[in-house]
Amino acid sequence: MKKNKTMIVVFLTPAVLLFLGIFLYPILKTILMSFFKIEGVTDAMNLWSFVGLDNYVKLINTSLFRTACYNLFRIWFFGGLIVMSLSLLFAAILTSGIRGKKFFRAIIYMPNIVSAVALATMWLQYVYSPRFGLLKSFFEALHLEGLAKIQWLDNEHKFMALLLAYCFGMVGYHMLIWLSGIERISPEYYEAATIDGANKLEQFRYMTLPLLKGVFKTNITMWSVSSVGFFVWSQLFSNVTADTQTITPYVYMYMQIFGGGNTVTERNSGLGAAIGVLLSLCVVLVFTVCNKLIKDDDLEF
Amino acid sequence: MGMKKKLLSAVLCGAMVGTMMAPIATVQAADDTLVYWSMWESTEPQGQAIQEAVDAYTAETGVKVDLQFKGRTGNREALQPALDGGTQIDIFDEDIDRVNSMYAKYLLDLEDLVKESGYEDTAIPGLMSACRDAGGGTLKTIPYQPNVFAFFYNKDLFEQAGVEKEPTTWAEFLDVCQKLKDAGITPMTMDDAYATSVIGYHLARLVGEEKVVEIVTEGKWDDPAVLQMAQDIEELAKNGYYSEMVGSNVWPAGQNTELALGTAAMYLNGSWLPNEVKDMAGEDFKWGCFAYPELENGANGIETNNFGAQVFGINKDTKMPKEAFDLVKFITTGEYDAKLAEMSVGIPADTTNTEWPAMVECAKPVIEQSTGRLTWAAGVETNVDMTPVIKENFIKLMAGSLTADEFVAAMQEAAK
Repeated sequence: MKKNKTMIVVFLTPAVLLFLGIFLYPILKTILMSFFKIEGVTDAMNLWSFVGLDNYVKLINTSLFRTACYNLFRIWFFGGLIVMSLSLLFAAILTSGIRGKKFFRAIIYMPNIVSAVALATMWLQYVYSPRFGLLKSFFEALHLEGLAKIQWLDNEHKFMALLLAYCFGMVGYHMLIWLSGIERISPEYYEAATIDGANKLEQFRYMTLPLLKGVFKTNITMWSVSSVGFFVWSQLFSNVTADTQTITPYVYMYMQIFGGGNTVTERNSGLGAAIGVLLSLCVVLVFTVCNKLIKDDDLEF
Repeated sequence: MGMKKKLLSAVLCGAMVGTMMAPIATVQAADDTLVYWSMWESTEPQGQAIQEAVDAYTAETGVKVDLQFKGRTGNREALQPALDGGTQIDIFDEDIDRVNSMYAKYLLDLEDLVKESGYEDTAIPGLMSACRDAGGGTLKTIPYQPNVFAFFYNKDLFEQAGVEKEPTTWAEFLDVCQKLKDAGITPMTMDDAYATSVIGYHLARLVGEEKVVEIVTEGKWDDPAVLQMAQDIEELAKNGYYSEMVGSNVWPAGQNTELALGTAAMYLNGSWLPNEVKDMAGEDFKWGCFAYPELENGANGIETNNFGAQVFGINKDTKMPKEAFDLVKFITTGEYDAKLAEMSVGIPADTTNTEWPAMVECAKPVIEQSTGRLTWAAGVETNVDMTPVIKENFIKLMAGSLTADEFVAAMQEAAK
């Protein structure tokens, strides 16, 4: 086809303009803001005061922010282990030719279409309730009095409670990604393997897993991106004021930009921007490490 | 075929760009229309009452009003950017302290309009002066939906335990707790969301709000008042005056499943509480209310309370200040103020509306006796970096898993 420069320009211009305006400009402005002290998020630039790296230094020295980062790491790491393994397990089971595949797939995906507010309320006010909760009745039925007495939402257990509830809602989404990956693998390979005498487990270990490398990368990246933005669940598990067990960098950022709780507190959007920059760096880092560690371009199928 | 494809892509591309650009052009209201960004949701009783008031105002005066329900967080997140961006917003509302500080620079001074209209003849003096204080000495906001933070209790349970008089001092308070406990009733409960109000109130009763702010912002946790407060709360915990669930109650578990269902007798909260739990508490729930008790050698007593209101602010750049003020007046006085109070089980802002909804009638003495004002949680949440830590350790103190000394030590450590 003959190259038509006008057409190239016509087709590229909107995309380029949108990219510059919607992605690049905010990114650059956020980076710039992180070096200033800014009270209101939309304050005119002449109200900004330059503070150099102070925002970053302050963040590193604030123990609450470190707590928030630690919580985020725990969510990402432990939550990641739980969600990735469960979702992969479900995906493997669903593609193994069981009956009612569509039904189970829908059931497992269901929490994703229910509002987080409704889900959190169910967990908080029903499942974990020390008066009539699901866990309490469950453990009582098993005569495990010690476990039945646990107050799942006290400071000691709150993080675990939050993590479980969150993972419950995330498994379905990642399962779908695994599913699409597994279904891409031609059934002929499995047929051949079966004829050669490989059982289901061996097929999973030596065929499915290696062929899922690329999907694994996608999953980790998606998980990292959604973990970094961990906000709603944290808010739902600690109304009005933040909680040491549930606070995440995003919640801290919100407190800095819009004020925390009901009291009028000092605001600094520059600090909020610095948090944004740090979080983006984290995602980029995870992505880069993943890319380095997992090579999937050596496989073609 | 190729041509068709090209054409189709071009059309689609154009459509995409078109839809993406659409939100950029915000619709500005016509010049003769007032724009009001409301902190309520259209489905809330307050929102419904305000909608009625606005409709009636338009019908009566012919002034068109563009009423937009933004919700609490909606206003908190979007109001300032919108004002900075030049969006026409003539009237907005939110909490008294937030509007007067965060949005101070956008506010129209209302002293003249108030004087001309004689608005103050029927307004609650304490609230008007609170607005002036918050506005830096001049009136920039009009209060409505007043609220007070105090102990709300179940009158039937008090009666059952033989409590005849509401406590005003700490000794009387302990006595009430013991009587309830003896009668087999859990004296009080708390939810995580309001735990900081307990420590704030108690500390402020001892040393006043200014000192509370100093303690939390400058890390003065070695102040003797902190230990005193911690010991008082430790005593409550030790004596079993708090519900066993206090360490794990995530709002609204305490207020719903304990107070409203009648297993716990008292709960420190705002006067919006009866409205929030009315469906669970039922119609025959008899509400009582008393101010946070006075402490021995304390800085203030039951005349100083955390009371406040939502307030209306008018944009200083509005083209229709008179009409905007008239609308605010229309909502906050007379018929529609009464309606708002009734529908939201709230407190009227107009003093001539003497009949309060039955459920909040109990808060009347507390409001009327209040001459001194504390802000939310008496300022204990001023330092955002400390609030979650205060909350964590204080809840543990209430739950009895920390002693007073351990609480003080934990706070000193955290403030380093």
